[in-house]
Amino acid sequence: MVSDIIQFVLSPLIALVTGVFLLGLSRKIIARIHRRYGPPIYQPVIDVLRLMTQRSVSHGAVFELGVVFALAGSFVTVLFIPLGGTELAGEAHPFAHGVLCPLSSAGGLLVVMYLMLYGPLGIALAAGESANPNASIGVSRKLLLALAYEVPFLLVILAVMSHYETISITEIVARQQESGWGVLSVPLSAAAAFLILPAMLGIRPFDVASAPQEIASGPLAEYGGTYLGLLAVQKALHLFVVIALFTDLFLGGGVNLATFLLKVMAVFVVAELISAVLPRVRIETAVKFCWKWPAALACLQMVVTTLSK
Amino acid sequence: MSAQVILIAAFAGAVLSYLLGLFSARGRGLFPIAVSALLLCLVAGLYGQSGEQVYYRDFLGLDLVLRTDALAWLFAVTVALVGCLSVVFSFHYVRGKEKANFYYFALLLVNAAMLGIVFSGDLLSFFIFWEVMSWGAYLLISYNKGRALYAGLKFIVMSIVGSCAMLVGLLSLYAAHDTLVISRLAEGIGSSSPGLLLGVLIAFGIGFGIKSAMVPLHTWLPDAHSEAPSPFSAVLSGVLIKMGVYGFVLVMYALVGLKLLLGVRGAWVSFNSVLCWLGAVTILVPTFIAVLQTDAKRLLAWSSVGQIGYIILGIGFATSLGLTGALFHTINHAVFKALLFLAVGAVEYRTGGVRDLNELGGLIQRMPVTFACALVGGLGLIGVPLSSGFVSKWLIYKTLIAEGRPFLALAALVGTWGAILYVYKLLHNMFLGQLPQKYAELDAAPFSMRLPLTVCALFIILFGILPGIPLKAIGSIVESVGLAPVSATLAGFGPEVGPLNMLNICAAAVVAVVVIALLLRAAAAPRRVAQDDSYAAGAYVPAGKYHHTVRFYDPLERMTARHLRDRVDEFYTWGAGRAQGVFDGLRRIYTGDVRNYVMYIVGLLAFLVFVQMVWRVW
Repeated sequence: MVSDIIQFVLSPLIALVTGVFLLGLSRKIIARIHRRYGPPIYQPVIDVLRLMTQRSVSHGAVFELGVVFALAGSFVTVLFIPLGGTELAGEAHPFAHGVLCPLSSAGGLLVVMYLMLYGPLGIALAAGESANPNASIGVSRKLLLALAYEVPFLLVILAVMSHYETISITEIVARQQESGWGVLSVPLSAAAAFLILPAMLGIRPFDVASAPQEIASGPLAEYGGTYLGLLAVQKALHLFVVIALFTDLFLGGGVNLATFLLKVMAVFVVAELISAVLPRVRIETAVKFCWKWPAALACLQMVVTTLSK
Repeated sequence: MSAQVILIAAFAGAVLSYLLGLFSARGRGLFPIAVSALLLCLVAGLYGQSGEQVYYRDFLGLDLVLRTDALAWLFAVTVALVGCLSVVFSFHYVRGKEKANFYYFALLLVNAAMLGIVFSGDLLSFFIFWEVMSWGAYLLISYNKGRALYAGLKFIVMSIVGSCAMLVGLLSLYAAHDTLVISRLAEGIGSSSPGLLLGVLIAFGIGFGIKSAMVPLHTWLPDAHSEAPSPFSAVLSGVLIKMGVYGFVLVMYALVGLKLLLGVRGAWVSFNSVLCWLGAVTILVPTFIAVLQTDAKRLLAWSSVGQIGYIILGIGFATSLGLTGALFHTINHAVFKALLFLAVGAVEYRTGGVRDLNELGGLIQRMPVTFACALVGGLGLIGVPLSSGFVSKWLIYKTLIAEGRPFLALAALVGTWGAILYVYKLLHNMFLGQLPQKYAELDAAPFSMRLPLTVCALFIILFGILPGIPLKAIGSIVESVGLAPVSATLAGFGPEVGPLNMLNICAAAVVAVVVIALLLRAAAAPRRVAQDDSYAAGAYVPAGKYHHTVRFYDPLERMTARHLRDRVDEFYTWGAGRAQGVFDGLRRIYTGDVRNYVMYIVGLLAFLVFVQMVWRVW
């Protein structure tokens, strides 16, 4: 019971700290690529704390509630994702501990996929109420981009679920720890998932929804103060959820929290290094790209998986 | 309380409300509400009962039978609930309109006929009630005149085609087994040849497919749903098209039975798999057509076609998981689609008939309750966790994955993402964004409209958090057709079905919301600003004209619009046009000139004489 409660508190906290750290890291990496020194790595913490003390404007109830909705959804999603740990007994892994996934018994991969909707939907509703066309255009792009990456993403998920014949993430992780990482057993899916990672995270070259120079940060145009702070936290959590999911599905999770977080960081740094040197593309190009290469790879893997059954 | 009493009450209520309406304008609105509420109570009271009762002996040598069982109860209670809500909603909607009497009569008649369909114990009564329903619906669809006349005509022509197909199936069953009582047919059907079974299934499949708007038999639906009066659109989309689903379940599972059903197959393709693939097409294409629509009701109509695809997909698999998902999605869709149509109806009522998505906006400020309910309905339609749509869709996805059909699952899941696009477009263009000047003083929807909306929204949330309640009723249906029921707990499923516990998810969400709310409480309260006080990079913001709606998903529309023409509809319309040409040609033999007619007679006689002389027939 006590360990349950600790897990329920610990898991979102880890996600929050890591997510915010990754945000800071990404600014640092981009700065170094630009040959700048860059802000300190804890800059996002300072930003969020400052924003939380500032007063914000409001365009109505949904403008405020949508943010709460999105953030709560992201927190709940974290509870379904295994953050390292293993059921395997321990001589080989002296630092292993039990699986850190408080709600693994309440739902599997399908639930996670649907819980991940809360974020974009909440922000879309909130931004819609802000009565700013820049926000509406941003939302329109965001939902389209989601449709674009969701086709290959669903193919990836279905291939993984068919390969391991289960919809439970903890089981998928356990199977990988027994018999090799997913990146080896479903390699094309892993490649497809890596290709759509920037689109899922909304970073370049697919940062069309927030595009600051074009549409004034899109959905965030009207936000400031407390609510912008909460949205930054939501962004950090979303970042963590996506990368953690990738790690769990293809890199075998982690035998303990430390290895898990190391893998998460490695995936993020590689993705960031590639995306940071690419320019932003138009939304049409993004949709066409997602429906072409990642979808083809994922589809091929699914055919292979289905036939090899 | 037997089904017979309910049906008598239902039909008598329809006639009485017409007669009463002739004398009292007040009774016209209230009496139908009383009738439909009474029916709802009576039907609900039938829970758990089952039995058969002959109500008319020896009609043309056949017994007419009424039947109550778990399947009939579930559909009957859905019909009664949506019927009741739509009658309540109509109270303000048709008040003061002409022919309100006729409207109530037809609405109650359709509801009564649908109750008749689900309680029918033999196929002849089923067919009779089916026809009453079709004609009643025809009268209501064309109630608004204008384009509605065309929509009604299209509906009734396709209905008649479907009825003819059903009649063929019905007569071939009668010829083979000499009875039309469903329970006796089910006992005797094992002796039929596979060819007959396939023929019967296809004949009924065409009839039910047309009514449930399965692609490629869907073309009546977008016109009929968008042109009908909104409370009736709710009935049409909520329960009338579900009669097709009921028919599928009845004929496939209760009549033909599982063992035979799975044996019905051609050389390399089975009836089931064809149905599944049709279901997948029914999900995908209409969903993306819905994204392109600019008429709120037409958007919802196309979305109904798409959602029927999920139900067909679930039914087609003939597993307990699939059937449970399909039946659950049937009631869910009835509730949330009724809610969405009624919400659009409320907006239409207040704005004076506007349903063009490019002309509305910002209505959340004037109609907050309507928005909140529409939001819940929209989330249910998408299938967001904690709404009832999630659990039913989860069951269907689980079936597809468990049966090893990932490509069908992909179609179903992509359909969900299409649903997000059109639901957001609907909510955003109507309720969010800037409020146009002309609607600045709009009143909220009247109580008789808010009440049905709220009831539907509560059902969606309740069944989303505690899906065990409806799943219990569905479990007994699944058991009655000879499948092992899915073991559901009150809040979801145990590990043997696949872990799902909605109550835990709900608790986690509540805790998260409370924590964030406490945090917000500590922060400074936000300053409320006017809608035109927004950031436009220094430019002047015109009030009420600054709402991004037109071609909301422009990049997608440019990519897909060319490919998403409704070619089936074009084909049927082309066929209808050609047929009209042929009949028009035939008509010309009636010249009105007696000499021509004499010539026809002489010609016919000459032909008969010729036949007799050459072949000596007589």
